[in-house]
Amino acid sequence: MGMLLIPRVLNPQVTDEEGRRRFHGAFTGGYSAGYYNTVGSKEGWAPQSFTSSRKNRAGARKQNISDFLDEDEKAELEGQSLSASSQFDTFGFTAAEQSRKQAEKDQYERPSAIPGPVPDELISPVSESIGVKLLLTMGWRRGHSIKDVRASSDARREARKAFLAFSADENTKESLDSLVSETEVETSLDPQSSEDIKFSESTPVYVLNPKQDLHGLGYDPFKHAPEFREKKRSRLSASKEVGFRKPLSMKESLFGPKSGKIAPGFGIGALEELDVEDEDVYAGYDFDQTYVIEDEQPGRPSNDNRLRLTSNEHNVLPGFGAASNSDYSVERFDPPNISKDFVARHKFSGPLEAETKPAVSAPLDVPPPEDNNLKLLIDGFATFVSRCGKLYEDLSREKNQSNELFDFLRGGNGHDYYARRLWEEEQKRSDQSKLLFEVKVSPRVEKMTAETRGSLLGERPLQRSLKEADPSASSGGSFQFPTNLSDTFTKSASSQEAAEAVKPFKDDPAKQERFEQFLKEKYKGGLRTTDSNRVNSMSESARAQERLDFEAAAEAIEKGKAYKEVRRATEQPIDFLAGGLQFTSGGTEQIKDTGVVDMKSSKTYPKREEFQWRPAPLLCKRFDLPDPFMGKPPSAPRARNKMDSLIFLPDTVKDVHQVSESQEPKKEASIEEPEVDLEVEKVERPVDLYKAIFSDDSEDDEEQPMNGKTQEGQEKKNEAAATTLNRLIAGDFLESLGKELGFEVPADVTYPEANKPMEEGNKSKGKPEASFSENRPELKEKSEEKTSSLTLGSEEEKSRKMREKSPRKQSERNDLSSSESSGDERRRKRSKKDRHRNNDSESDSSSDYHKRGSRSRRKRRESSREKRSSHKKHSKHHKTKHSSSSRYSTDEERKDSKREKRRRRD
Amino acid sequence: MSATTELPTKEAHVLKGHEGAVLAARFNGDGNYALTCGKDRTIRLWNPHRGILIKTYKSHGREVRDVHVTSDNAKFCSCGGDRQVYYWDVSTGRVIRKFRGHDGEVNAVKFNDTSSVVVSAGFDRSLRVWDCRSHSVEPVQIIDTFLDTVMSVVLTKTEIIGGSVDGTVRTFDMRIGREMSDNLGQPVNCISISNDGNCVLAGCLDSTLRLLDRTTGELLQVYKGHISKSFKTDCCLTNSDAHVIGGSEDGLVFFWDLVDAKVLSKLRAHDLVVTSVSYHPKEDCMLTSSVDGTVRVWKK
Repeated sequence: MGMLLIPRVLNPQVTDEEGRRRFHGAFTGGYSAGYYNTVGSKEGWAPQSFTSSRKNRAGARKQNISDFLDEDEKAELEGQSLSASSQFDTFGFTAAEQSRKQAEKDQYERPSAIPGPVPDELISPVSESIGVKLLLTMGWRRGHSIKDVRASSDARREARKAFLAFSADENTKESLDSLVSETEVETSLDPQSSEDIKFSESTPVYVLNPKQDLHGLGYDPFKHAPEFREKKRSRLSASKEVGFRKPLSMKESLFGPKSGKIAPGFGIGALEELDVEDEDVYAGYDFDQTYVIEDEQPGRPSNDNRLRLTSNEHNVLPGFGAASNSDYSVERFDPPNISKDFVARHKFSGPLEAETKPAVSAPLDVPPPEDNNLKLLIDGFATFVSRCGKLYEDLSREKNQSNELFDFLRGGNGHDYYARRLWEEEQKRSDQSKLLFEVKVSPRVEKMTAETRGSLLGERPLQRSLKEADPSASSGGSFQFPTNLSDTFTKSASSQEAAEAVKPFKDDPAKQERFEQFLKEKYKGGLRTTDSNRVNSMSESARAQERLDFEAAAEAIEKGKAYKEVRRATEQPIDFLAGGLQFTSGGTEQIKDTGVVDMKSSKTYPKREEFQWRPAPLLCKRFDLPDPFMGKPPSAPRARNKMDSLIFLPDTVKDVHQVSESQEPKKEASIEEPEVDLEVEKVERPVDLYKAIFSDDSEDDEEQPMNGKTQEGQEKKNEAAATTLNRLIAGDFLESLGKELGFEVPADVTYPEANKPMEEGNKSKGKPEASFSENRPELKEKSEEKTSSLTLGSEEEKSRKMREKSPRKQSERNDLSSSESSGDERRRKRSKKDRHRNNDSESDSSSDYHKRGSRSRRKRRESSREKRSSHKKHSKHHKTKHSSSSRYSTDEERKDSKREKRRRRD
Repeated sequence: MSATTELPTKEAHVLKGHEGAVLAARFNGDGNYALTCGKDRTIRLWNPHRGILIKTYKSHGREVRDVHVTSDNAKFCSCGGDRQVYYWDVSTGRVIRKFRGHDGEVNAVKFNDTSSVVVSAGFDRSLRVWDCRSHSVEPVQIIDTFLDTVMSVVLTKTEIIGGSVDGTVRTFDMRIGREMSDNLGQPVNCISISNDGNCVLAGCLDSTLRLLDRTTGELLQVYKGHISKSFKTDCCLTNSDAHVIGGSEDGLVFFWDLVDAKVLSKLRAHDLVVTSVSYHPKEDCMLTSSVDGTVRVWKK
């Protein structure tokens, strides 16, 4: 009960606003809450209106800043606190505070990308303080010094200079500046400069030097080369004059002189990259434009300290003098000490070890063993060991432990002889290598005279010197460098010999001699000796005449030789029946090439060549010309350059089985056929194979862009048409269409032989039943392999397919057609490939190709080729049909649409 | 000299307006107007006889290298560093079509006789034929037998002739489907066809103009004296095919006699490289353009 006494003193009872007791004793009802411990109010209890949260859920309440503020904070926020009015705001604190608040408020009202009041705080409006106002009314002008208006003229001049320097500096930077610094420059600098150019020390100038490069902080690329700083600045200001934009300068600093000369006045778009082609080729080369690339390495120590200082001098701020002695000095290191016995030449330890060997005393000269075989073996082994090193001997000794033939290695029969032989061989080798070494090193380094150089370069030296030219160089058997090199520069020796072998002036030995001399000179190139002693006796005109004769004779020889070689090359396929086909094509190419070179050397420009070229049908149409290739299959494009044949050379060997049948007819054909075509046929084949294997079939659709769009929709119609049409009619129909589209059928101009068999083939198409029944079993075989080919199931298609397959099986019966038809197919593929020559599937596929095993390769190729061809048939079939129906239907559609349009218009 | 009097050696007008190098100046079909194009990415239409700028066409993203007007003066095409061929409407100044496809800068464009196709010659070693009749923007044909940049293209009624840096002048005959390649051994800068159609004048980069017989490929004459080593400078023949005109890199324009290859006249036309020389189709009037940014009209 004592508990009750104490509270009475302290009045511990908790009451609410109206003085009601909050807490009661445990026996008097606990605590009171709400309205008399109810949820109601004075007016009674009103239940909240129920809102179903099912349809309209309570949205997230937007939180307000006031939710989190205390009363006083709120009051402060509303600006109800005490502060100095702006009028008496000497130090501008109030103004700043107010503006900050204002900014905060603004911020609160319209949230910006950058949260918080930071940007506004940065740029606070500066109200003039009362002090400044007073000063201004007293006649003080902004920028003047307060203490002394009439300062000494010297100081003022200095100041002006400094200001000008700064402002100039500032201007250059301004243009390149980002937005922030620009505004800052404006606030800090512009009012002053606009009001008064005069400027005093009393007002601090905040020189902004924003970081514009991509170097690390504090890194100065011009630290040791201040000359270039000036250079760069001038460059920047120059570029600024012509309106360089910031990205460019960025790029410049990144990539150095790459983006060098650009035509004045024209930048390029923001989205475009500055390229090589943007360089102004027409601008004269300006040497002032050359500048040093800013090297990222902080190296480049300037050796001359004085230079650095003097060049810095004009950069010294007014009021500062250049230090007479600089604390800074470049650390210098002495060159490393070279020991006296150091030879500045690297000794190779490996192959030249023979040099040390001779120190070993020579074993006794021992007669060779009686056994001749053993002797041979030992001799051979000795040379081998001497060449490959002692290691090999050890190895083989281990290996042939049990082999009694190699007893001589283990000290058995013939060991002495072996030792002797080995020593001899090594001796020989060391001599050789010494010689080699001498020849290699000493003459080249020391005796590189004009003569040797001349002979190296294939120049024709004066008469005598050729023989003398460095005997050491030409004597060494292993050192044929000069002669080889000169060969490469002039004519190959063989051709000279060949020319010499033919003696057009046999009856007159003197003339023949002169002719040979002429030939030599002709092919030697370089300077010619115009006055030969021997010719002196002849008159000028006679000499000229003879010279003409020689020229003609030389050319004749040349031609004859070229012709012969070509002949030889074209005959070669017969020799290499299976494997050599592709190689020979390379051979012809090369030989022809040398022929070309020869022609060049004998000055036959301009040189005319003719090729087949197929204008696009549409092109002919646009030019109002009949298509010369109307209805002819696309021909093989010729090899683009020599590289083509080179690249595919190694792969072609695998191609043998495919080509072998078609070769025999070619033997006859190849001789008469123009050379270009021949090589094309041979060269392109492997590419087609790759194409067939690896390229996807989608390109078939691209084959004829004109029909491509209508193709898909027409597929069903085609099938229907295919089934309804009589086979025979279909055959003719297809043929004619194919002709019109320039797809299939008769061979082109350059392959006259091809015409016949193809026509035969076409005829046979007319009666497909016959050929079909004939070849039925084969077809079944094939159809099992092919899955896709049978979906269409039109007979003439099969028969066609057969015709193209059959040559492989019936080569004897129908050689020509077989080769040509397959050739045609290939050509078609090739041409397609050529049309899409941008896709690099070719190179990809070839690399793939190499990776795979040869066996699987072959199989795969076969199957894929078949698939491919079947697919091709397929698509071709479609297309031919399409074009007919599509042409028709599109016409119809067009008419319809026109009609509709008209109706609409009406 | 009577020969020189019939040459257009008197300056009639200077057409100023281009900023930077003018890369080509071409007369239209009847010679009443001229189109010029240049490094400033604009094409300008002039009346060269009065020296008035009529219109400026802007759309190219980079320098414009060549321009050619259709025979009916309704359309023209242009090409340049932005790898596209633009097909323009003359009067509205709008681009009707842009032909994209060249992998490099396009050096020259020409319409055919009926203005149904444009042939462009590009840095990507190809000639491309674009169709103006249909709405297709795909090339009708790509001729890519050249081994190097194709610098210049000329069309006849049945042939396409291209000159390339690989030293060849290749004639593509549509009637017989043949390509005739005349190897000159020197990079071909500009080709121009004689008015009788029998000869091709090829400006080579060894400072030589070569006149070729078109049927045989025979070298008929060689014209020397000017400098043409590193810039694309044009050459052309006068209307009577009596004279050969060639621009030089030192700002001169040379006149040769066609037959005996004598330099008849040297004209100090510009201060800098003469990029283009174009002859009036009927009169004795000539346009020269230069890197110095001017186009000059020359008359008798």
